[in-house]
Amino acid sequence: MPFREINSKMVEATLAPGQKLFSQRGAMLAYRGEVSFTPNIQGGQGGVASMIGRRVAGEATPLMTVEGSGTVMFGHGGHHIQVINLSGDTLYVEADRLLAFDGTLQQGTMFMGSQGGVMGMVRGQVTGQGLFTTTLKGHGAVAVMAHGGVIELPITPGRDVHVDPQAYVAHHGDVRNKLSTAVGWRDMVGRGSGEAFQLELSGSGAVYVQASEEKL
Amino acid sequence: MFRLQGSKTLAVDLTGDAVKAKNGSMVAYDGRMTFKKMSGGGEGLRGMVTRRLTGEQMTVMEVSGQGTCYFADRASEINLVSLHGDTLYVEASNLLATDSGLRTGTTFTGLRGGASGNGLFTTTVEGTGQAAIMSDGAAVLLRVSPQYPLMVDPGAYIAHQGRLQQSFQSGVNFRTLMGEGSGEAFQIRFEGDGLVYVQPSERNTVGGDV
Repeated sequence: MPFREINSKMVEATLAPGQKLFSQRGAMLAYRGEVSFTPNIQGGQGGVASMIGRRVAGEATPLMTVEGSGTVMFGHGGHHIQVINLSGDTLYVEADRLLAFDGTLQQGTMFMGSQGGVMGMVRGQVTGQGLFTTTLKGHGAVAVMAHGGVIELPITPGRDVHVDPQAYVAHHGDVRNKLSTAVGWRDMVGRGSGEAFQLELSGSGAVYVQASEEKL
Repeated sequence: MFRLQGSKTLAVDLTGDAVKAKNGSMVAYDGRMTFKKMSGGGEGLRGMVTRRLTGEQMTVMEVSGQGTCYFADRASEINLVSLHGDTLYVEASNLLATDSGLRTGTTFTGLRGGASGNGLFTTTVEGTGQAAIMSDGAAVLLRVSPQYPLMVDPGAYIAHQGRLQQSFQSGVNFRTLMGEGSGEAFQIRFEGDGLVYVQPSERNTVGGDV
């Protein structure tokens, strides 16, 4: 089911019987109809093995399952919300930025090292994202939180996009990313421009960037 | 050149030229860019010393290259200002980016600065080109003409341009001294002909407490 944006900081989802969606625990603002909220110890789908995987990876955010029939409004901490519609491709996003997502999407955890090897692991550490990130795959909608407004930048072959790691929100599509460094002698002596590390994204897809350098 | 992507992100198209921007404010770019910190805001040794002494320090980087560069800072609203040979007065903390055709400097503001929590000095931007200034919430642009002077809360003032004289006025009276003040004890009064940018939010000022 799609999310409808009420304003820039609230979304509304319409639930029909038999459908379910996952949301960050405590992010419900209001609802109409018969809707039940069940805390999800497993932190998502995929049974106990996935749960352990997420715990180990530090990508376990408290989620809840929302089921029933009616409409539910979500929002959290006054953060801006961006709705991303997936049509078969994979979205890479940090678990704590996930506000709500369709129950039909497949949730997984990806090891940073699997994309870019050792440099991928370094990237995770430098950007403060840790060694793992959450993936969502399939057809459906995802509501992602960001500080400040979000802009979507398309990535096409031959047109790489560089993003400040702190302003990076999520990306989808067939995109390779690596950490590029522009560390010069100026940074070593404390006269850097503040842009020493950048995420370099290449391939085809889109990246979402927030208008702020603050983490959630 | 400068355009807004949403109200909180500034996109700058560069074709081999350069812009000056607040240090660390780049959020994304495509193409090829280099970032270089400019000590003392690119005003030379004299400018650097002046900024150190006046407390109007700003750390500026020079961005040059080919492509589009996106800037944003703490989700502040961004306002574009076009200058045609006139001067913009803005607080260093509210200045996000300036064109290569613009010069920046420092001036003395007098008593106003002390009460607005900004210090006694302010930054000037002059020349021909575009500048981007930041505000906490969407800024309103108020016109001042000789018949209509404007009074502004020092905490909500962000910038002004044109031929304006500013003076400082206080509404301190018997009630203020009794601790029954309205929180509007001080104002900046603008007279002349020009424009004033006001934000819908107030910084912590001495005037706001009494």
